[in-house]
Amino acid sequence: MTRRKRMLQQLNDDIRDHIERETEDNLDRGMSPEEARYAALRKFGNVARVQEQTWEVWSVTWFEQLLQDVRYGARSLLRSPGLTIAAVLAIALGVGINAGIFSVLNGLALRLLPVPRAQELLSVYQILHFHGQGNRYIHNNEGYFSWSEYRDYRDHNQVFSGLAAYEPYMDATLAGSNARQLLGTAASCNYFEVLEEHPAAGRGFAAADCAASGASAVVVVSDSAWRSQFGADPGLIGRTIVLNRTPYTVIGIARPGFAGTEPVPSAFWIPLTMDEAMEPGQHRLANDNMSWLAMIGRTRPGVTMAEVRADLDVIAQRINQHFSGRTIALSIHAARFFSSPEEREYLIPVSSVILTAFALVLLIACANVSNLLLARASARQKEIALRVSLGAGRWRLVRQLLTESLLLSLAGGVLGSLVAFWSFEHLMHFVTSHLPADFPPLAINVAPDLRVLLYSLLLTLFTGIVFGLAPALQSTRPDLNSSMKGEGAGSGKRSGRFLLKLLVGSQVAVCMVLLLAAGLLLRGLYYAQTVDPGFEIKGVATTFLDLTRQGYDQTRATQFMQRFAEQIRGIPGVLDVAQAECAPLAHDFSAGHFTLPGHSDLILIEYNHVTPNYFALTGIPIVRGRGFTSAENHNATGVIVTESTAHRLWPNKDSLGQVLRDSSGHPYMVVGIAKDAQVSHLGESTSNYLYFPFGPEDNSRNFILVRYAAAYSNVAKGMRAAAQSIDPNISMDVTRLEDYLDVWRAPSRIVAGLSGTLGGLALLLCSIGLYGMVSYSVGRSMRDIGIRLALGANRKTVLRHVLGQAMRPVLIGAAAGVILSALVSRILSSMMFGIGAHDPLAFVAAPCFLLVVAALASFIPARRAMEVDPMVVLRCE
Amino acid sequence: MSTREQQERIELLQGTLDLLILRTLQLGPLHGHAIAKAIEYRSDEVLQVEQGSLYPALHRLIRRRWISVQEGTSENNRRAKFYSLTAQGRRQLRVETSKWEKLAAAIAQILRPAGQEER
Repeated sequence: MTRRKRMLQQLNDDIRDHIERETEDNLDRGMSPEEARYAALRKFGNVARVQEQTWEVWSVTWFEQLLQDVRYGARSLLRSPGLTIAAVLAIALGVGINAGIFSVLNGLALRLLPVPRAQELLSVYQILHFHGQGNRYIHNNEGYFSWSEYRDYRDHNQVFSGLAAYEPYMDATLAGSNARQLLGTAASCNYFEVLEEHPAAGRGFAAADCAASGASAVVVVSDSAWRSQFGADPGLIGRTIVLNRTPYTVIGIARPGFAGTEPVPSAFWIPLTMDEAMEPGQHRLANDNMSWLAMIGRTRPGVTMAEVRADLDVIAQRINQHFSGRTIALSIHAARFFSSPEEREYLIPVSSVILTAFALVLLIACANVSNLLLARASARQKEIALRVSLGAGRWRLVRQLLTESLLLSLAGGVLGSLVAFWSFEHLMHFVTSHLPADFPPLAINVAPDLRVLLYSLLLTLFTGIVFGLAPALQSTRPDLNSSMKGEGAGSGKRSGRFLLKLLVGSQVAVCMVLLLAAGLLLRGLYYAQTVDPGFEIKGVATTFLDLTRQGYDQTRATQFMQRFAEQIRGIPGVLDVAQAECAPLAHDFSAGHFTLPGHSDLILIEYNHVTPNYFALTGIPIVRGRGFTSAENHNATGVIVTESTAHRLWPNKDSLGQVLRDSSGHPYMVVGIAKDAQVSHLGESTSNYLYFPFGPEDNSRNFILVRYAAAYSNVAKGMRAAAQSIDPNISMDVTRLEDYLDVWRAPSRIVAGLSGTLGGLALLLCSIGLYGMVSYSVGRSMRDIGIRLALGANRKTVLRHVLGQAMRPVLIGAAAGVILSALVSRILSSMMFGIGAHDPLAFVAAPCFLLVVAALASFIPARRAMEVDPMVVLRCE
Repeated sequence: MSTREQQERIELLQGTLDLLILRTLQLGPLHGHAIAKAIEYRSDEVLQVEQGSLYPALHRLIRRRWISVQEGTSENNRRAKFYSLTAQGRRQLRVETSKWEKLAAAIAQILRPAGQEER
């Protein structure tokens, strides 16, 4: 029972007691019982009023008023169901897609790792600053640590109960009847203990496992790998599997929900000490100047972030003393997927652009609802004026109108969030289905959590206040006299109309920005689809072979490649076979610094090692000089540069015969000039690029390019059979060269799809808003139109006038949108492959499209103005 | 009731009832009827309290946590609600009393008999 209820119950007892005592006193004074009671009651006063006044003392007025407002608001919303449905749907759409996209970003960047007590886990990265010259070997991420650095932090910190290190994304070939590629993790011995992630079956690493560097190696397999690669065999533990030709004993199977601490799931975990066996020749464990290990630590209870920073900084300072030319800055954050500084540097601006785009649609929805409410508020002017004249305070009225709009936004928000729970799965599906086929699946959890719900709620309340405030303030400032008399209906307040136009104009501007973005990206996509990359991309099959990883030394790799190339030449339909360090557009780049004689500045040049027939096979012509001969290898000094590189390095000179030196000072001479081609980045053919001759060393890791004139599937099958016939354990994938284009198109396809959808939604909302505004203003100015017609105005002139009034905010908004787009479209230019950020076609077509739709949306209601019968309208008044 | 008697009784000023209740309770816990009686008696029956109006005031003071209420037994062994001052109420009484005294003095100053001014 509440204090209030208890007190009120006591009151009645108290009053009864009081009157009884007074009666007794009166009896003592000698009154008759009847008289005594009557006098007591009279002296007490009105019992009902006393009760009422006491209740008032205890009443929670604001709460009761709120309930009153809610009831009243609900009733008045239900009275105009059309408006209510339109408003709720618009808000649901806006809040829903925002909640959906937020839950995806939440899953990407904000969720903690899916391990027990994840809030205690911190990931540690380092940023190296070099003073002048310096070098560092980098594998995967420059923020990673070397083996010796890791041990330093592990053994000397005071703040972690455990610090683990791991090498993510380790490629491995699982031997078997059908060899397969897996991505796994090489982890420190304490990895599973630090994460508190105990395998569902078997065990994690023990100290003895980590002493091994070759023999008696162990592996923990992920649940999904156990199911997909080993048919969920219950007897797998204790059996031996072969990864990159090294046998491993399976000691554990991970919990189903755990697939490592990276966004791409890990299929297996092996001890770090096995790194050399997995990738021979890298000698990472012995290299103190190599970034290759991610660090993740579990803090001791009660240790603060500041203490962690201070403690680890001491160790970093000590390491600094050993390397004079550089300083280390540590970057320590809660451990999440994508927690490295460079990933976040990319993720945060990208997600804020995406969130802004989605928020813009919500803004349009809000402006729209605001519009509807404003129109309705003008219609309710009389009611409000009446309430003001009866003594209602302005704040009280504003509060009541705000309650109404919050009711609307809550209804919309709840509906929208429900839609979002459905829509983000579809959003994810849309994104993943547009990623290239060989893109690894991401282990991202997009299910809504507390943060998503909170975001949706805040968004909902925010929208309720944003779209409700303007109409509420507007309509509670009535000019009592004219409203009551019905005059207000005709004129409409100037400021009210201005607000309406401002809302419509800003909707159009936002819509314009989204449409233009979609238009530019679609143009970019079309360009990417039809672009001539400068080489023959069709009719070429390609495969990538990393033979070192598959256990080959260089001699065996050279033998393998020679036999492989011969066998491929024998496949029917194959025209030519070439080898290269990087295939065109394969997202595989090599670059180095070069110098020109007599100059000290370093020039960054991308390069490729290619066999002599590479140029003929890819259709890149040698425009001057010669191509390579089969006698040339890494010892040869001749190189081939592209045309634009030659122009840039030796302007106004004959580049043939010119000399350039690599970073070790070795001189090379230009023997040929190749035509520019977009071999490294799509849409970019003029960056510095040069070709070295292919040498035997390249055989252990290279692309094989096969030109064919037959069915692709037969060629691919033939290539696989050829490899298997030489080594049955070999693992390889064959793709078409043109498939590499997909990788380049994927981001723009996704962004174009999203911004196109958003632009469409925005346009729809915008036209509804425009339609509403025009029909409202036509409705309000019936009398004006009637008078004009009665005075002999032409119906067409009236229509033109109404349309002109409506289109003015549209034109201003559209112009603002175009200017805004022109300013920001540069952001998109990386996805547009060579078409300019101000592509004229997009900048003409999108505004035209928008204006046509806008004109149509205002023409339909404006036609009503032509059908006004002056007699009827004037009599009504 | 004679006319003279009626003229001598004064209706309470708004808000002064609270002060009177607090002052009355300073002597010790009392039930509602006793508070009303005490106010009438201590003012030589000049102050006329409509007894019912005591209750909204009492509840107002409870809500402000200046007084508290307990179940108790009265003189003739009857159960009743006893109201008593809280520590906060005691403090408030001091504040209100000094405010009232200032107000009374100020009003008295203005209402000094005319002869005093001419002197």
